[in-house]
Amino acid sequence: MRGLSEERKRALGRFLVIAIPFLWLGALFLAPFLIVAKISLSSAAVAIPPYEPLISWADDGALVLTLHVGNYKLIFSDPIYLIAYASSLRNAAVTVIFTLLLGFPLAYFIATRDQKWRAPLLLLVMLPFWTSFLIRVYAWIGILKPNGVINGALLWLGVIEKPLVILNNNFAVIVGMVYGYLPFMVLPLYAHLEKMDWSLLEAASDLGAKPFRVFRKVTLPLAAPGIVAGSLLVFIPAVGEYIVPALLGGPDTLTIGATLWNEFFSNRDWPVASTVAVALVALLVGPLLALQHHRTKGARP
Amino acid sequence: MKKSRTLLAGAVAVMISAAPAPAADAVLNIYNWNDYIAPDTVPAFEKATGIKVSYDLYDANETLEGKLSAGNSGYDIVVPTLVPFAARQIKAGFYQPLDKSKLSNYGHLDKGLLARMEAQDPGNDHLVPWLSAIVVMGYNVDKIKQIMPDAPLDSLRMVFDPKVVAKFKECGVSIMDSPTEVFPPALLWLGLNPDSKKPEDLKKAADLLKEIRSSVRRFDSSEYINALAAGDICLAWGYSSDLEVAKHRAMEAGKGVNISVVIPKEGAERYIDVLAVPKDAPHPEAALKFINFVMQPEEVAKTSSKVYAMSGNADAKPFVSPEAAADPVIFPSPEVEKTLYTITGADPAADRLRTRLWTEIKTGH
Amino acid sequence: MIPAPQDSPWADAAATPQLRIRNVVKTFEGFAAVDDVSLDIYRGEFFSLLGASGCGKTTLLRMLAGFEFPDRGAVELDGLDLLKLQPYERPVNMMFQSYALFPHMSVAQNIGFGLRSEGLSRDHLEERVVNALKLVQLSEFAHRKPNQLSGGQKQRVALARALVKRPKILLLDEPLSALDKKLREATQFELINIQKQVGVTFIMVTHDQEEAMAMSTRIAVMDKGRVVQVGAPHEIYEYPHSRFVATFIGSINLFEGMAAHGPDGWRVDCAHWPLRTAQDLAALDHHQVALGVRPEKIRIAPLDENFAADNVCEGVVREVAYLGESMLYRVALPSGFLVRVAAPNLGARFSSGQPVRIGFGADAGVALDK
Repeated sequence: MRGLSEERKRALGRFLVIAIPFLWLGALFLAPFLIVAKISLSSAAVAIPPYEPLISWADDGALVLTLHVGNYKLIFSDPIYLIAYASSLRNAAVTVIFTLLLGFPLAYFIATRDQKWRAPLLLLVMLPFWTSFLIRVYAWIGILKPNGVINGALLWLGVIEKPLVILNNNFAVIVGMVYGYLPFMVLPLYAHLEKMDWSLLEAASDLGAKPFRVFRKVTLPLAAPGIVAGSLLVFIPAVGEYIVPALLGGPDTLTIGATLWNEFFSNRDWPVASTVAVALVALLVGPLLALQHHRTKGARP
Repeated sequence: MKKSRTLLAGAVAVMISAAPAPAADAVLNIYNWNDYIAPDTVPAFEKATGIKVSYDLYDANETLEGKLSAGNSGYDIVVPTLVPFAARQIKAGFYQPLDKSKLSNYGHLDKGLLARMEAQDPGNDHLVPWLSAIVVMGYNVDKIKQIMPDAPLDSLRMVFDPKVVAKFKECGVSIMDSPTEVFPPALLWLGLNPDSKKPEDLKKAADLLKEIRSSVRRFDSSEYINALAAGDICLAWGYSSDLEVAKHRAMEAGKGVNISVVIPKEGAERYIDVLAVPKDAPHPEAALKFINFVMQPEEVAKTSSKVYAMSGNADAKPFVSPEAAADPVIFPSPEVEKTLYTITGADPAADRLRTRLWTEIKTGH
Repeated sequence: MIPAPQDSPWADAAATPQLRIRNVVKTFEGFAAVDDVSLDIYRGEFFSLLGASGCGKTTLLRMLAGFEFPDRGAVELDGLDLLKLQPYERPVNMMFQSYALFPHMSVAQNIGFGLRSEGLSRDHLEERVVNALKLVQLSEFAHRKPNQLSGGQKQRVALARALVKRPKILLLDEPLSALDKKLREATQFELINIQKQVGVTFIMVTHDQEEAMAMSTRIAVMDKGRVVQVGAPHEIYEYPHSRFVATFIGSINLFEGMAAHGPDGWRVDCAHWPLRTAQDLAALDHHQVALGVRPEKIRIAPLDENFAADNVCEGVVREVAYLGESMLYRVALPSGFLVRVAAPNLGARFSSGQPVRIGFGADAGVALDK
């Protein structure tokens, strides 16, 4: 019966291979999300933890399940949440566009270097990760502030007469986010460009296409999966970005991250904070699924 | 209440910092504001008792509350602000009663302060006063006088009269990014109870704040210290201890920036930061030893001089540095002290309304 | 395929070459990939650049396409200075070794790609694409993507895509190397037919001498960046200029010895087998030369069969290889020197160890001094 046991071993192996990523997702994504979803259906209380339990014992020994949907009504009745979502989505989209505009030439440049230069150049792209993100964003304050590096240089050169307001506004937020997320765009783009068949570009040029047409008709479509991957990698965390707007943004910078902070800390309302978070996930997952669907459909012959 | 250095670092701390190491004998886990203790106090305590101290920092009451709310923080001593934080945290059962028989130095504490604290902590069961300061204004004297020679330097008008504050827009106005420290003076300036929780009063205050909004360069609870000291801004609404730091930094820099820290004549908010022991503290005995240690007048006086705040210890003033002892913002005269008010906790609905109005003031939405 | 004189414009001093390559040099990091190459190529030729990998043939082709620019030299096409033009401006198209089909485009889109930059009307463009598809017999595959095609089909798409541009010259980089042997042979003839149909000059890079021989009007044999010999296939084969060309193309016996004149005319005094040659070696008198003799030019016979030839020697068969259409023997001379002899597979066969007589005429060999 050796064969059977081998068969079983193989089946077990298959099961484990499939189960491990699912366990991982379940433990690190689904479970926390369900906890947050659960809290979003509760109501705030002055206690540890600071919300009412969903399930409680009534006096007569009955088990009572109390679900508050009021939190969801709240975030749709007060426009502040929708405005914050819209502004976060807009900032994330603008960040994607600029990281793409900067990251594509950068990735292209690295991918077209001699083999021996690629690794050091990639290392340079990743080098900032060795420093705390917080410190790097603080450095931007020094660069952008009224008597900072940029204004100092421009004043000294006589280009401007009084400092430009480039800190504590949306411009600074975009600068900081583009800076922070650029590597997330460059790396997947590089991965795709690096394995691209360069003879295709030569073929296009040989067939009479000028460089711009080669780029538009061949390079771009072939790099599309990298562009999609990079854009998602930038867009998703950028929507929930808290640090950059908090440090570089102005008082009127309204983001979903700041809204969450307010609910969590200023209002001590974990249920509403959870509701905002659940709505954010719903807002992101919808377009993502649509995109994924589109991609798998596009990949099929 | 030193409050948010940056709200952000607090949030990050809540998200990423794990609870301190598990219980072990002769260990004490303290969670305190940054820069809120004399540098040699902890080493002196370790030397005196043989207890090893693990010291963590936060910079916002909200951070502390977030951590304690989740339970199992692992901390033995925390330093919340009395109102509204410690007050409601006692009600929520965050803290354990203190065994005063083990606090031999309890007698040094300021009786008047203890009496005031009884409203929030009946019988002074849970809390021991640590430091106390005031929410005030600080300004760059020369710049203000240059812009407005007849500026009402001792009045709330500097910040809350839209016509006056508009004059300082160009040289830079910073207001704390904290509705709890800005609504009370706005209410006071409008002639209302600074502690009012009435929605109509809060809305009136919000309308006033919206008027001065265009004159404010930055809503910020930490950067104003450096900005004021460096001359980047000329008027700041903040904590007296922070503004005193700015004043001393400007003096040390010697670049001719002359900062004045002023308690408005209309009155100001006094806040008290207290020591408390969380209910699930792993080392309550060590915590009591530490509290008793810092209740020695000489010990707390060192911190008081260092952070420019009055201590809750009645016998400490003689040990405070002469410069701090003579500072009327750290130790106001009895007449000024009478004008100081404290704020009580609000119900969640009022808190939510205030936060919402604050967002509206800042963002226009 | 020996071309008739009217098919040999290179032999006509008055003919103007279509493509002139003059003293072209290209170095990569100090290494001369192409070293002072000059070639004239005439309209309608099927010209092959033949050589081992690294001989510079591909670099030369890429310079014609415009992907590399020479350090020195000139390239003219119908009087047009090609070196002033970018790849997309040159009236030259290339068929890539990997075919380089655009994976995200259909067959028809691939073929139409090059036409879109020519400003043709939509109908005209479609017509050209349809005709090109017909030419390579892929009309029913117009809407497939490249990854749904077989290797041979891909090759034909690549050909159609380049030809549809109506280039003055079509460059082919190892066009058959990705095909299996059987398909390769069929495709050789197809390529020749298509070339005749469209009348375009083809310049092909290949490392495969049989392929070059079978398809080309002329071959340039390259070695270490230089062109070592240019000629029609039969010239290269029959009259190699050097030992390198002689051994690179096909199989050959090289009898090394001193050139000398004797009573019977010129001879090569090979230590293993002194040989008579009909070639006039006056210029090489007392030079060390090799007399090259192709295996199939040598006759082999049993000892009892007497045959007359200018050079005859006895030996012993050492190795026998059965190649189907022919037999290949290695015959040891008394000195031990092995001579390769190919005999048509008819009549007598010889076995290993059998004493034989081998011989060839004085006109069978070619003396090589380089």
